[in-house]
Amino acid sequence: MERAKTRIAASSLALATLFWAGSAHATGVTAGTLIENTASATYTSGASGGSITSNTVTVKVDELLDVAVAGLTTTPEPISSTNAVLVYSVTNTGNGNEAFNLTANPTVTGNKFDGNIVSIAIDTNKNGVYDAGDVIVTQGGASPSIAPDSSVQVLVIVSVPQGVTDGEQSQVRLIAAAATGTGTAGTVFSGQGQGGGDAVVGTSTAQANALDALVASVATVALAKTAVIDDQFGGHQPVPGATVTYTMVASVSGSGKAENLHVTDVIPTGTTYKANSLKLGGTALTDVADGDAGVGSASGIDVGLGAIDGGQSRTVNFQVTIN
Amino acid sequence: MKKMIADIVGFLVLGSLAAPAFAAPASPVTLKGDVKLEKTIVENGISKQTLTDPKVVVPGDRLLFSTAYRNGGAAPVEHFVVTNPLPSAVTLAPESAASLEVSVDGGKSWGSLAKMTVADGKGGRRGAQAADVTHVRWTLATIAPGASGAVQYHAIVR
Repeated sequence: MERAKTRIAASSLALATLFWAGSAHATGVTAGTLIENTASATYTSGASGGSITSNTVTVKVDELLDVAVAGLTTTPEPISSTNAVLVYSVTNTGNGNEAFNLTANPTVTGNKFDGNIVSIAIDTNKNGVYDAGDVIVTQGGASPSIAPDSSVQVLVIVSVPQGVTDGEQSQVRLIAAAATGTGTAGTVFSGQGQGGGDAVVGTSTAQANALDALVASVATVALAKTAVIDDQFGGHQPVPGATVTYTMVASVSGSGKAENLHVTDVIPTGTTYKANSLKLGGTALTDVADGDAGVGSASGIDVGLGAIDGGQSRTVNFQVTIN
Repeated sequence: MKKMIADIVGFLVLGSLAAPAFAAPASPVTLKGDVKLEKTIVENGISKQTLTDPKVVVPGDRLLFSTAYRNGGAAPVEHFVVTNPLPSAVTLAPESAASLEVSVDGGKSWGSLAKMTVADGKGGRRGAQAADVTHVRWTLATIAPGASGAVQYHAIVR
């Protein structure tokens, strides 16, 4: 075993040099191609002429295993409660049909947070969007076979983890490795090449990766509650029969949006909810569950605000009477 | 069934015996083709060329094609012209392109590559490159009886 290792190392050195010299070719002759060379000659001998043909020497072209990966997401992709879709390309720079095992790694040095990999998909229609017809590849699983010099677009769908601060950046690495095998340049997989020849690892080590960036776009909600008392005598004393107007301001900050936001409150003990006093942004809401956003009752209020963008706020009022 | 096999065997024997009778008069010259894989190995900073039997060949590799000739006849052979169409999967290496008589039009016209042009695909002509070479050839004025040698060209797998 020790001896075999030494041999591979020596041959990889030689091949590396050669591949460098031949790197002007994008992919080259298809694996399995037969190179057949025959020479012929004509001559004269005395008064007569003649011709002769040599034997044919044949060399079979083996499969070179090479791959290139590029990140196509040029600006950091916002990630929020909505999953981010990162786009990569995987190009078969070898000379045979080859599948590549795809791995998405969210742990990259320097990351402020590590995203959660939801899925990896082949972007069949190359539109950069995960949609119908795109094929899911399991983490570490093989892509469809890619023809020499062809590429597939790969989508990595990422969800945001807990505890992320707005504006923090992260990266996700997509790794593509030849399904036949990887290794140092020159490593040979005997008989495993397309067309019946060997497969040989090229300068890419038959494995490549690229990074795409994410930026957290999350929202923070602040809720401020104030109360104003108006008594029946024109003053502001908390006496029985006085009306208390509660104002709750929900303020959303950050570059993301707060989704499915609700403002809820319970009616304080010793007070009675004043029917139909519920308001959103100064507009009255009915107490019953109906077309409007709010519900009010003796036990409490609930106003659904839906999705609110960062930088916006919503104001909810309701009134109670002191018993 | 048994008889049929016997007949075939009989035919094959007959065929192999009969073959020499139909062969052309023996040529005084013999040609023998060979191919080697050329590698540059760098060891301790010193590069050296090696020639081995091609076992693993991939695009970018260099091959040395050679054709050995021998005049086995009693008379000199003259105007000896060896023509070698390039396999489509290889391109002529620069050192051979610079030194050999080549054709870029399938063997119709011949000369040095530097003086040749090919269609540029835009209605005009451009200078021919090594990758455009379709054939190489060598011309020897005389091969003395019993003399032998070899012609060779370097190629790069496309």
